[in-house]
Amino acid sequence: MAVHVDIDRCIGCRSCEVACQRVHGGSCHVRVHFVGGIASVPIFCHHCEEASCIIACSFGALFKEGDRTAFDVEKCTGCGLCSLACPFGIVWTDKIAEKCDLCDGRPEPTCVATCPADALSADGEAAPRGGQVRAGRSASSGGTR
Amino acid sequence: MTKVLVPTVCPYCGAGCGFFVAVERERAVGIEYMPDHPVGEGALCSKGNASLEILHHQERLTSPLKRKGDGWAKITWDEAIGLVARGIGEAIRDYGPDSVAVLASSKCTNEENYLIQKLARLLSTPHIDNCARLCHAPSVVGLNRTLGAAGMTNPIPDIANSRCIFIIGSNLAENHPVISRWVHRAKDAGAVVIVADPRETHTSWMADIFLQLTPGTDVALLNGIAHQIIEEGLIDRGYIAERTRGFEEFEGSIREFNPERAAEITGVPADDIIRAARAYASSPASTILYSMGITQHTTGTDNVQAVSNLALITGHLGRPGTGVMPLRGQNNVQGACDMGALAEFYPGYRRADDPGTIEHFSAAWSAPALPTGPGLTAAEMIGAAASGDIRAMYIVGEDPANSDPSSLSVKRALEGLDFLVVQDIFMTATAQAADVVLPAAVWAEKEGSFTNTERRVQWSFKAVEPPGSALPDLEIICMVARSLGLDFDYPDAASVLAEINMTVPQYAGITRERLGKEGSLVWPCPSPDHPGTPILHSSGFRLADGRASIVPVPYRPAAEGRSPEYPFLLTTGRVALHHNAGSMTRRSPSLIGRVPDLFAEINPADAEKLGIGDGDLVTVSTERGEAQAAARLTEGMKRGVVFMPFHFPGTNILTSEAADPEARIPEFKVCACRVARRD
Repeated sequence: MAVHVDIDRCIGCRSCEVACQRVHGGSCHVRVHFVGGIASVPIFCHHCEEASCIIACSFGALFKEGDRTAFDVEKCTGCGLCSLACPFGIVWTDKIAEKCDLCDGRPEPTCVATCPADALSADGEAAPRGGQVRAGRSASSGGTR
Repeated sequence: MTKVLVPTVCPYCGAGCGFFVAVERERAVGIEYMPDHPVGEGALCSKGNASLEILHHQERLTSPLKRKGDGWAKITWDEAIGLVARGIGEAIRDYGPDSVAVLASSKCTNEENYLIQKLARLLSTPHIDNCARLCHAPSVVGLNRTLGAAGMTNPIPDIANSRCIFIIGSNLAENHPVISRWVHRAKDAGAVVIVADPRETHTSWMADIFLQLTPGTDVALLNGIAHQIIEEGLIDRGYIAERTRGFEEFEGSIREFNPERAAEITGVPADDIIRAARAYASSPASTILYSMGITQHTTGTDNVQAVSNLALITGHLGRPGTGVMPLRGQNNVQGACDMGALAEFYPGYRRADDPGTIEHFSAAWSAPALPTGPGLTAAEMIGAAASGDIRAMYIVGEDPANSDPSSLSVKRALEGLDFLVVQDIFMTATAQAADVVLPAAVWAEKEGSFTNTERRVQWSFKAVEPPGSALPDLEIICMVARSLGLDFDYPDAASVLAEINMTVPQYAGITRERLGKEGSLVWPCPSPDHPGTPILHSSGFRLADGRASIVPVPYRPAAEGRSPEYPFLLTTGRVALHHNAGSMTRRSPSLIGRVPDLFAEINPADAEKLGIGDGDLVTVSTERGEAQAAARLTEGMKRGVVFMPFHFPGTNILTSEAADPEARIPEFKVCACRVARRD
């Protein structure tokens, strides 16, 4: 399970970042990247099936809990190996590791609920919409349409 | 511990998203979304998510202040109100009521705006306005003339029913982010999206057809599109015959305006103009969304009329998925206008120069000597302050020292007033020029109704107390009015809304009780059993014979063009993470942290010639002054054009005071400038 992005819909407003920061005591676990000025892609933790960050963590602070890659703050030493291991650059270390917890305890991830453009979903099984595929192609070729 | 969820309306843009403020032990501790809200469906943009940062901000004004030397002294409310009564009273006594001007606030509630304009008019000054002047005055003038009503014709969610969405002069993806979801819903069902803008924006990312026009050439583009629609016979003859007047004259006026001619002026390829014309005219339901890219011009009223001409000749009005949609920028700019906080209109858009209006309100308010308008508009007040015709001003929740064009001269004019009282939540640049500053409450610290851009009136509830001795604007206005001898006896917002129900016909059925029970109502709602009117003009227009006017609109160039000394065109606008003059968002850590500084977008080819690299500090100068900004090189910028957001104090030092002759809106979107690297 992870947050899925419809690049066609993303408007680069960074609401997901601000909302994430709001509910996580000031730390933000999303980064919106811009391609060619107007295409934008928020990068979230993929909650990988075989998560490199878990393998890298010597202290058992990162572990699988169902589909989620969970994090135990008590065990984290802030060594930063998980940040180095993450292939998407979306786990970072600021004294301790910071990563997406899919808003544990809330009915859905806050970024999904707040996205003004309805670009995010927690349901990866949903059929691709309208221009999603075309948008992905044009973002990967420099972000022009 | 009990957590209470208090429903409020977002204090930022005109979309009117709702959210709950979570309150624990009388403190706002969080935000909960509102999934059943008709516009946002629970979504909230970055500014809405950051709104509580303003509520608890350490720089909030917490006590009335008076100027003392170079600094400020805290004073009691009694002393402050006494000083205000004396300052305004002396101006009236010595120079007459005409020497006093009042600026109402498109951030305040309907009830507060109603009282502010009533206060001004009971003092016998016609000079009342609000910053709608700087955003949608041309919509008020133009659409009242052509369609007989100035609001958005259709609701925001109805955009999903459209099959062609023409967005011109609006970067809604950044400025009204939630509207994007409705555009995308239409796209999912096959709608074509056309975007016209001098810049590639996050809105143009949604476009199927992108028309990158030169700033200030909107009339040429719209006339070219209209020409092609007529040429190809794509007009709705039945609609034109039954519902409109003026078509023949209009047709004659654009006979020469073929797409090639439009292409020459706008810089948009003629083929794209033809594609746009076909897409808009031939779809079963097309809508036009526009914003300040249309209005903030010396041709603002013309632009608006050219937009409404397109809708009228194709009959794209009065049905689901159609419409003319001015997107308004502030949470209650629609309401402030509805309430008559405008130089040329009393409440309910009754003309201020009509003796019938004066008679009506004289009776309603038991006031024998109401002023006939139009009074001075927001920008004209500043000019009159500079010339000494205006001696005293009462400014509520507005920051003209940052938001008006040519801001250095605005500051000088404000400082030259005999008396200035500013009522706000922070010490803004305008408040810095005041004699007395009154601390006000923010949205969640008071209650009242707000009207969003689609004419939806919503009640926002009080969640927490204001900080220190700050007070809700409604209470402050009543204190000021009473100190000036007026009988303002309003215990709460509900009692003011009850008076609005009596005096503003569009709001007659929008009672406090119904806003509680039914959540929100869309005006016109003429009686307590009326359901409201989400779609306007479905059975004719509120004009003579029920017909709309198609108006010939000749193309006129912008007031300033490029010159050897100033070889670029500067156009201004907004970014997603900031709002207007920035007094709130520049103080909001999670927003200012993301966009910390003023920047200037420039095309890389232009930058190369000037030896400017990405991120270099540049000086942008115009005839009025200069500002520093960081260069942002982007291919999405049209050659020869520079863009700067106006959330930072530098930008409006540069902009021009040249204004639309009718609507008096300044031309923020075009002025000639020079760019140089700062070494």
